[in-house]
Amino acid sequence: MFETRLNSVLFLSVVALALTASALGSYPVYLMSLAGINIIAAIGLNLLTGNSGQISLCHSSFMAIGAYSSSLLTARYGLPFWLAIPLGSFLATLVGALLGAPASRLRGIYLALATLGFLQIVQIVIEEFADVTGGVRGLNVPKATFAGMYVSEYVRFLLVLASTGFAIWSATNLLSSRVGRELNAVRLSPHAAQALGVPVDRIRLTAFALSAAYAGLAGGLMAIVVGFIDPGEFGVSAALRQITFIVVGGMGTVAGSVIGAAVLSAMPELLRPVKEYNDIIYTLILLGFLTFMPRGLVTLWDSFRIQIARATSTKEART
Amino acid sequence: MKERLRIEKLTVRFGGLTAVSELSMTVAAGEIRGLIGPNGAGKTTAINAITGVVPITSGLILLDNMPLTNLAAHQISHRGVGRTFQHVEPFGDMSVLDNVLLGVGRHSHVPFVHALFATAIADRGEKQANSDALNILERFDLLSYRDSLASSLPFGILKRMDLARALAARPQLLLLDEPTSGMSESEADHAIAAARSLAESQNITLLVVEHNMRVMMALADSVTVMQHGCVIAEGAPSDIQLDRKVIDAYLGEELSDAAP
Amino acid sequence: MTTTLALQLAIAGISVGSIYALVALAIVIPFKSSGVLNFGQGEIVTLGAYLALILTQLALPYPIVLISIVILGGLGGVVIERLLIRPIVKAPEFTLVIATFAIGVVIKSSLSVQFGDSPNSIDGPFGSTPIMAFGLNINPTSAWILTCTLLVSTAVVLFFSRTRLGRAMRAVSVNTEAARLMGIRVETVYRWSWAISTAIGALAGLLVAPLIGINPEVGQLILRGLLGAVIGGFTSIPGAIIGGLSVGLIETYSGVLIGSSFKNLVPFLLLMVLLVFRPQGLFGTGEFKRV
Repeated sequence: MFETRLNSVLFLSVVALALTASALGSYPVYLMSLAGINIIAAIGLNLLTGNSGQISLCHSSFMAIGAYSSSLLTARYGLPFWLAIPLGSFLATLVGALLGAPASRLRGIYLALATLGFLQIVQIVIEEFADVTGGVRGLNVPKATFAGMYVSEYVRFLLVLASTGFAIWSATNLLSSRVGRELNAVRLSPHAAQALGVPVDRIRLTAFALSAAYAGLAGGLMAIVVGFIDPGEFGVSAALRQITFIVVGGMGTVAGSVIGAAVLSAMPELLRPVKEYNDIIYTLILLGFLTFMPRGLVTLWDSFRIQIARATSTKEART
Repeated sequence: MKERLRIEKLTVRFGGLTAVSELSMTVAAGEIRGLIGPNGAGKTTAINAITGVVPITSGLILLDNMPLTNLAAHQISHRGVGRTFQHVEPFGDMSVLDNVLLGVGRHSHVPFVHALFATAIADRGEKQANSDALNILERFDLLSYRDSLASSLPFGILKRMDLARALAARPQLLLLDEPTSGMSESEADHAIAAARSLAESQNITLLVVEHNMRVMMALADSVTVMQHGCVIAEGAPSDIQLDRKVIDAYLGEELSDAAP
Repeated sequence: MTTTLALQLAIAGISVGSIYALVALAIVIPFKSSGVLNFGQGEIVTLGAYLALILTQLALPYPIVLISIVILGGLGGVVIERLLIRPIVKAPEFTLVIATFAIGVVIKSSLSVQFGDSPNSIDGPFGSTPIMAFGLNINPTSAWILTCTLLVSTAVVLFFSRTRLGRAMRAVSVNTEAARLMGIRVETVYRWSWAISTAIGALAGLLVAPLIGINPEVGQLILRGLLGAVIGGFTSIPGAIIGGLSVGLIETYSGVLIGSSFKNLVPFLLLMVLLVFRPQGLFGTGEFKRV
């Protein structure tokens, strides 16, 4: 009972948010768009690291691929954003599969190294092909248009909101199906998984491709929301931030991705006066959670839910 | 008698160590074959070789006359080979139901796209899988543990779960690796009875690695004895028990266990 | 390519390779003994470079700067081992990788905050006029770096084979529990392996500063060092040295052969290829369990 009531409450609040957002003002809408984008990216990384157990330091590189390719498709070939962004995500997925093919055979530090190497490769490519990507100085993103009119930031926010909803819905579907079980099985005991017919390497590769798909989507959305692509956003600091999102929220769960990304997305604002200390603060938070709450904030949410469920069921039993 | 498993001159070498040396044996369909031997005889390595976990140095492994030797482990599983593990290898963070569902998943597969979009097909597939899994849990008296995390359960329950999970995959050849290790005598007796009745009712061929002679005698139709990677005897349990070589092999082990 | 050019490049390659070799050593030594790969090692090198800057600005003579950096670096390693590594040694691999990576990012950020992104530099100890020898122009700084690396490498190899502590370290890296039972104080071994590692890393920072300047991005060369460590097979000390030198040579030659924009890609592509096809490098002996 509580579950369905909770879901209805969440759904209604999201609808309310969508309707009232235009009244909130430009800056809060912008922040919420960024939060949504972070949630989508976090969901992708969590599937790869939290569920299939593969550490990745190059998740932001897939965001970069999504961002640059969708912007370039619009800028150079006139594709509208609603085609360019999915295509960008598709391209990121392909690259994710390409990287995943060899990477999924690696473990531990070797995998971390390979993903770090890939991160650097993407950064170098961005810098060297400067006439296409704008190099270190970044790329201006053409404003999104629909039916000849510029898409307002409020509508862009709705787009992000819808995409975030899709990401949450699809990831939840996956995790509660045999795909989710196989992802976790591959992490928990590859030997037992193999013996039950799970193609371990293929599942790991799928996880890479999946994570890249979500990251590519997030990247494409980020490009049109921010209006500008800064390659510095896709380096080691970003990798650190995204890992922090999923550790803080809770690895292996969609709720964890949402909680971690949403909570920490508020941070850059709170931290504006001390912007340079961003990395330090993220690291402290990350190390703190790794030490004291390695399963993330979602554990608090879970115990809260169980308590409420218990309370409401005893109430019903009594009546 | 139809033969289910045939191993011809299997040799497995790692580094400088020869774990299995020219092992040959044939198991008939529906048979319950025991594979025994003192520690280090190569029994678990043989199992690992059949299931594709360790690379084979030379030799042939045939299932229903089809070679398994170059297949990946998960492909071997799809050919109908299942196994349990000496140390259970549970999916610790997952519930007992989810563990068994992974076994069910081997033969009932919801396609990826359907799973992604939670279509009606996915829904139906999941419901079917769930009911299959719950049936199996009931058969193994594990229903009360269905939502418990595997990592929270005692070893004996996990052993049962391991067996349930392997059987959920509907194997034709099931390799049991020390299924009663860590169990009390009565638990072991229960497990043997369950294994026997299952094998017979579902016509599953069993190859059981066991260290415990008593269990082996009660369960197996025939027994293969290994020592130092080679077969030293093969036959009916009653004959094996009296075989001089077998007694020496085990006695040797007992003596070295007892040595100060 | 003329022989002179090839030799000239070889010298440049070996001298930059020496730095990578030192970084590779700094990575492999604590990995061998405590199983922790310090993803933040690059930042230790950056710290060494900045220390060099500070001490030089205090007008201290070069030999004093060098010795201070080695000592301070070593002390830093002891502190890191005690405060950061000891608590996480037993943690799952994910935590180890992320923690050292995160600490590296923090150090880099702190240096950015403290010193800003403006580049700094110090002079090499023997000036920058090239020496003429064997018909080649040899940068005295390069020669100095080479000499130091040779000395350090020899010292390290001797240390591991001849001294009691070195042998204890090897024992611990092979089997920690057995070593402990034999009476070896494992904590001391860890502490020393980290101290040596950070001392070498900081020294590398001092040595490389005249060549590439002093800025927070210096730590990027950890990736070359890591590649050197991989080539050498992660657990081999001589392998790490040879690996680092090879990376330097590869980088320098590919710079000439394929142009400077793509030469940066070569080490990473090589890294990926190696990790996939031969993770144990050329000298390593690791058995790699599939699955």
